Amino acid sequence: MKGAWLRRQGRRALASEYLVLALSVAYFLVLLPWLPELAHPRNLANLFSRMLPLLLVAMGQTFVLIAGGIDLSVTAVIGLTSVLGASLMTADGGWMAGHAAAVPAGIALMLLTGALLGAANGAAVTGLRMPPFMVTLTSMMFLGGLAVWLTQSQRITGLPPAFLALGGKPACAFGLTLGAALFAHLLLSRSLFGRWLYAIGHNPRVAAISGVPVPTVTLAAYVLSGISGACAAILFTGRLETGSPVHGREILLDVIGATVIGGTSLFGGKGKILWTLYGVLFLTLVDASLNLMFLSDFAIRMVKGALILLAALIDALRHRYETA
Amino acid sequence: MTWSLLASLLMLGVGAGCQRSARQAEGAPLTIGVAFETLQTEFWVASIEAFRAEAKARGITLLEAIADGDANRQLEQIKNFISRRVDGIIAVPKDAQTIIPMIRAAHQAQIPMVLYNRPPDPSDAPSITVVADNYSLTKATVSYMAEQALQTGELHPAMILIGDLGDINAIGRRDGFEDAIRPHTNLIQVVSRIPTEWNLEKAQAGVVNALQAHPGIRFIFTSSDFLLPAIVSALKSTGRYHKIGQPGHIILGGFDGDATAYRMLEEGYLDATGVQDVQFEVVSSIQAILDSRAGKPVAAVIKDPGFVIHQGNLKEMASRMWGAGIARQRRP
Repeated sequence: MKGAWLRRQGRRALASEYLVLALSVAYFLVLLPWLPELAHPRNLANLFSRMLPLLLVAMGQTFVLIAGGIDLSVTAVIGLTSVLGASLMTADGGWMAGHAAAVPAGIALMLLTGALLGAANGAAVTGLRMPPFMVTLTSMMFLGGLAVWLTQSQRITGLPPAFLALGGKPACAFGLTLGAALFAHLLLSRSLFGRWLYAIGHNPRVAAISGVPVPTVTLAAYVLSGISGACAAILFTGRLETGSPVHGREILLDVIGATVIGGTSLFGGKGKILWTLYGVLFLTLVDASLNLMFLSDFAIRMVKGALILLAALIDALRHRYETA
Repeated sequence: MTWSLLASLLMLGVGAGCQRSARQAEGAPLTIGVAFETLQTEFWVASIEAFRAEAKARGITLLEAIADGDANRQLEQIKNFISRRVDGIIAVPKDAQTIIPMIRAAHQAQIPMVLYNRPPDPSDAPSITVVADNYSLTKATVSYMAEQALQTGELHPAMILIGDLGDINAIGRRDGFEDAIRPHTNLIQVVSRIPTEWNLEKAQAGVVNALQAHPGIRFIFTSSDFLLPAIVSALKSTGRYHKIGQPGHIILGGFDGDATAYRMLEEGYLDATGVQDVQFEVVSSIQAILDSRAGKPVAAVIKDPGFVIHQGNLKEMASRMWGAGIARQRRP
C-alpha cells in the first residue's frame, strides 16, 4: 500500500510541470551554505545574463522538438549570422559602414539569414523527407565551415555602439529575450499554429488526415529555430563586441539539454516555453555554481552531461507511462 | 509557512554572501583570479605552474579558470572573479577583441587586470599587458638562422608556419620573420606561408603540402615550438630530417622554448629558438597587480625581452629555458 502510494507520488512528481523549477530552487537553497556567493546580487545578475542567449536558442529548439524533429545546426546559424551582420555593419569597410541604417539593416540581415537557413533545413526535412538529425548535422558542418571561410578565421570588430548595446547592455538583452519569449509563448499556447504543431508531434499522419498542413507547419518550426539562433547571435556579438564564426559553438548540448530538462519531449508532441525557461534556469544555475567552485571545464561538462542524460531518461519514462 | 521559510533561507544566503565579501576587504590574504584560454600547450602549462609557485611563495590565494577556447565562457569566468571580489585578475585572452568588455568590467569593479602574454586590441579600456617582444625576438632568432644560410652561399627556399591571424603575437612573429629575411632575399626566398590557426593537424597538412609543392625547401621557421612535431613528422616522412652538419640539413627555427625544442637543440636538429622568459612574465604579472593595488604607477605594456638560444650558446642559456627543465624531468 505504502509502495503503491510512493509510486503514485513519484509519478505525480515526474509529471508535474513545476518539477524543474522546484529542483532549481532546492538546488539553490542546498548550495547556499557552502557557496553563499551564489546569492550575491552581482552573481544573480550574471546568472540571468547567462541565461538569455541560451533561452533564445532553446525556445527555437522547443518548436522543432514539439514537431518531432531536432535542429543541430543552430550553433552554426549563430556563427554565420554573427559574421554576416557584422560584415554589413562594421566601420572597417563594412557594406554599410557609417550608414544611419546600418544597425537595423544588420539586424534584419541576421534575422533573415536565420530564417532562410531554417527554411532550408525545414525544406529538406519536409520536401525531401530526410531525417532531421542528418539534415541539421550536415547543415551544422557546412554552415560552420562557411562562416570560417567567409572570415578566413578572423573576427570582425568596429561594430556600431547601438548594436553592441543590444547584447552588451543587460537591460536591452533582457528586453529582446522577454519580447521573444512572450511571442513564442503566445504562438505556441494561443494560436492555431501552436495546436497544429502539437498535433504533428503526436502523430503526423493523423494530423495530415485531420487537415493540418504538416509540411508548412514543420518548415515554420525550423524557420523559428533559425530566427532564434539569429537572435542569440545578436546577443553574443553584442556582449563580446565581435562578429565571429565561432560564437555559440559550445552551447549545442546545453540548448538541447535545457529544453529536455525543462520537459519538452524528444518524442515530439509535448513542450512549453515556460518549461524551457525552467530548464534553462536549472542548467545555467548548475553551470554557474560549478564555475563558482572553479571546477575544471571537463568536470563541469561531465556533470552537465550526466544531468542531461538523466533528463532524457525521465523523458523516456514519462513517455512510457503516458503511452501505456 | 513554507514560503516564509524559503524567504528566510534566501535572506540568510544573501547576508552570508555580503558578510564574506566584507571579510575579504578586511585584510584577508590576497586572492588573484587567473583565467587562461587553454592549457593545450606546454607553454601554458609551464606558465600556470609558475603562477602557482609564485603565488604560494607570496602567500597569495590563486583561483584558476580555463576557458578551453570559448570566449563567452571566459567572459563568464571573469565575471565570476569580479563577483567574488578578487584582488586582481590575470587573464590570457582567447581573443584580443573579446577581452575588451572583460577589461571594462574589471575596471568598473576597480579590480586591476593584467593580460598575460597576449595584448588586447587598442581600446579605451585600461589594462596592463605583460608580453614577449614577439617581433624583436623573432627577428633575432631568424637573423641567426639567416646567418647559417648565408654561410653556405646557396639559395634557401623558405617556409614559415604562421599562428592564428587573430592573435597579435602571431602577427608580431610573422612580421619579425619577414623583416629578418628581407635583407637576404637573394639567398633566402619565402615560397610558403602556412596559416596554422595554432592547430597541429592544420600545420602538419600545410607542411606536407608545402614540401610536396616545393621539395627544395631548406629553411623553416615555426611561430611556436608546439608545432615542431608536425614539421618533424613531415620531414621524416620525406626522408629530410637531418642533423646540423649532415648533408641535407634543413635550417630550422622556432619560438617559445618548450621541451621539444630543447630536446631538438640538444640532439642537433634545431638551429635556434626564441625563448619567452616565463618566470619574468609571471613575476611581472603578479607584481603589476600588487603595484596597482598600492597605487604605484605601472607601465601599460611590460615587455619580456626573452632571448635566443642556439647551438652556439646552448650550454650557458639552457638553465634559463623553461622547456629545458621540463625535458630534463621527463628523462628516464
